[in-house]
Amino acid sequence: MKALVAVKRVVDYNVKVRVKADGTDVDVANVKMSMNPFDEIAVEEAVRLKEAGKVSEIVVVSLGVKQCEETLRTALAMGADRAILVETDAELQPLAVAKLLKAIADKEQPQLLIVGKQAIDDDANQTGQMVSALLGWAQGTFASKVDVAAETVDVTREVDGGLETVKLRLPAVVTTDLRLNEPRYVKLPNIMAAKKKPLDKTTPAELGVDVAPRLKTLKVAEPAKRSAGIKVANAAELVAKLKNEAKVL
Amino acid sequence: MLAPQQLAELGRLLAADRVATDTDTLTRYGLDWTRYFTPDAAAVLFPKTVEEVVALVRWAQREQFALVPSGGRTGLSGGAVARNGELVVSFERMNAILELDKVGRTVRCQAGVITKTLQEYALANGLYYPVDFASSGSSQIGGNIATNAGGIKVVRYGMTREWVVGLKVVTGEGEVLELNHGLAKNNTGYDFRHLFIGSEGTLGFIVEATLRLARPPAELAVMVLAVPQLADIMNIFNAYRDKLDLTAFEFFSEQALRHVLARGTVQRPFDEAADYYVLLEFEKIAPDTETQALALFEYCAEQGWLVDGVLSQSQQQAAELWRLREDISESITPYKPYKNDIAVVVSKVPAFVAQLDEILAREYPQFEVVWFGHIGDGNLHINVLKPEALAIDDFRRACEQVNKHVFELVRDFNGSMSAEHGVGLLKHDYLDVSRSHAEIRLMKAVKSLFDPDGIMNPGKLV
Repeated sequence: MKALVAVKRVVDYNVKVRVKADGTDVDVANVKMSMNPFDEIAVEEAVRLKEAGKVSEIVVVSLGVKQCEETLRTALAMGADRAILVETDAELQPLAVAKLLKAIADKEQPQLLIVGKQAIDDDANQTGQMVSALLGWAQGTFASKVDVAAETVDVTREVDGGLETVKLRLPAVVTTDLRLNEPRYVKLPNIMAAKKKPLDKTTPAELGVDVAPRLKTLKVAEPAKRSAGIKVANAAELVAKLKNEAKVL
Repeated sequence: MLAPQQLAELGRLLAADRVATDTDTLTRYGLDWTRYFTPDAAAVLFPKTVEEVVALVRWAQREQFALVPSGGRTGLSGGAVARNGELVVSFERMNAILELDKVGRTVRCQAGVITKTLQEYALANGLYYPVDFASSGSSQIGGNIATNAGGIKVVRYGMTREWVVGLKVVTGEGEVLELNHGLAKNNTGYDFRHLFIGSEGTLGFIVEATLRLARPPAELAVMVLAVPQLADIMNIFNAYRDKLDLTAFEFFSEQALRHVLARGTVQRPFDEAADYYVLLEFEKIAPDTETQALALFEYCAEQGWLVDGVLSQSQQQAAELWRLREDISESITPYKPYKNDIAVVVSKVPAFVAQLDEILAREYPQFEVVWFGHIGDGNLHINVLKPEALAIDDFRRACEQVNKHVFELVRDFNGSMSAEHGVGLLKHDYLDVSRSHAEIRLMKAVKSLFDPDGIMNPGKLV
């Protein structure tokens, strides 16, 4: 069984981002970029499925600038077999990403498409669902447990108020949640071995996908600063402040 | 014991709500991270200004009352312990960052600023305060200076001493001294600043400091290596140091790792355990730095010095890998460890470690010994864990017996019996392992110059 895993290059989780002075975007110049943590979980899950003998080949795909190669190399070092970079400098929105992934899936014919439930940069949480619709495949989103059989996959989903398990007919799309697994550290010998694994490149044009943005960002702003709390001397003062300043009483 | 009238006077010197005598506060502020002493403070005082500190010291001198300075209380040698009815002077209300000099790359702050707060403040201003250690979220600048704190970046940036360019201190007579005024160059005689750095509060109180700041490092990558033989760690160190800008080179044993993993917050870096691990951090200054680091790994593996290794793929992973080393101290605290903090010059580490290993195996067969430390600085933290059934006093006595052998070895190597934890109460009786009798006599004479009545942190250090 072949698994296709999509990985996104995003601003590192530990970086404190700042908004550009003109309010058009987040400033990512000279900022450490890493693999989207949810995608890391997706790669880890695929590698575990391969180690368990359920999956025979793992193909990782990333869409974006040339530096996404680094992200793909990390995935290869974690245990993926080969990589595909759809190289473009264009801004990619979820629908374009879903269309590109569909094009890759049409070519590769995987039984499983595993993606992070969302990327930590735009938090869109749309790609997995959209690509499942475009492909006409079943979807199991927010997976906290994945159990693959010959024809089906059981996906335990984290939903409000508990867990829900769905049985999907393969091929299927699975999006990974935080508690699915804990990604491994990348071993140095594997990093060296990953350099020799195949990494193919293509472009949106070659795949015949129009990636022109459909959404326009109007403004990016920092969250409002929280002002420091104060200590009140007694209950009367508290009540007075709630009445006159907070105006909640 | 404080007489009621004395308490009233203190209440007038400070506001009454900044003089605490409740049991909870007395216990909390009477202790640091050492677990051997029973706290017994008379009161805990929270001054807000230099003037208040001066008034307190003058009052204590008049009343002949001993004072103990208190910062983040993360010390490991009992330097901030009050166990003889002293007054504890906490600097936590003196926590203002006063002035940033962007051109001179210095920052002036009060003694009670928390280390991490200062680090974050520097970063927010495009600069970097490099002294760092596991307790940086609690420790305070004043305490760092009074103990000349070291930590995990010493191999690159040196100890706290390297970063202090100015101090404001209050002596044991209540005199305020402004030392060095933040100057980079100032050859005008005895530099009292350096006497106060590492003085453990025995000469006076540090109330303000001017610290040097650096350029922030480029992206940092963390490697953890699995090393079967203790002796090979220094070979690895030499190989990496020759080619890379190391910002840290730490080691820990499998035993240490097991205690960290037992907390269940981080995962084992390798499937297979090794006896020792090295954590090294380097600055990715050039695009090929990582390639070089990988080549070094291959070279070390060919020599048989290491069997496995991992490399951080994100800042998040780098932080997680650091926890394997940084969480050791906290994870073994419940075992009331007896902490040895010893150092020799780096070139002598292999010979020293071999002999030390032999002594510990011979003398501590019944105890669990946890090895870790800043081996790139020649500094080892040897922690002996207390077996649950053993009473703490018996345990401490047993450790002190073995100390004789360990310290004899340290003396033979001209090493330090306290590399970065200071002397405090815990190491007080062993000062002559690392300092000559002539030195100790002069140290006492220096103390009496700054603190003629012996009210400043008595019983500690000398």
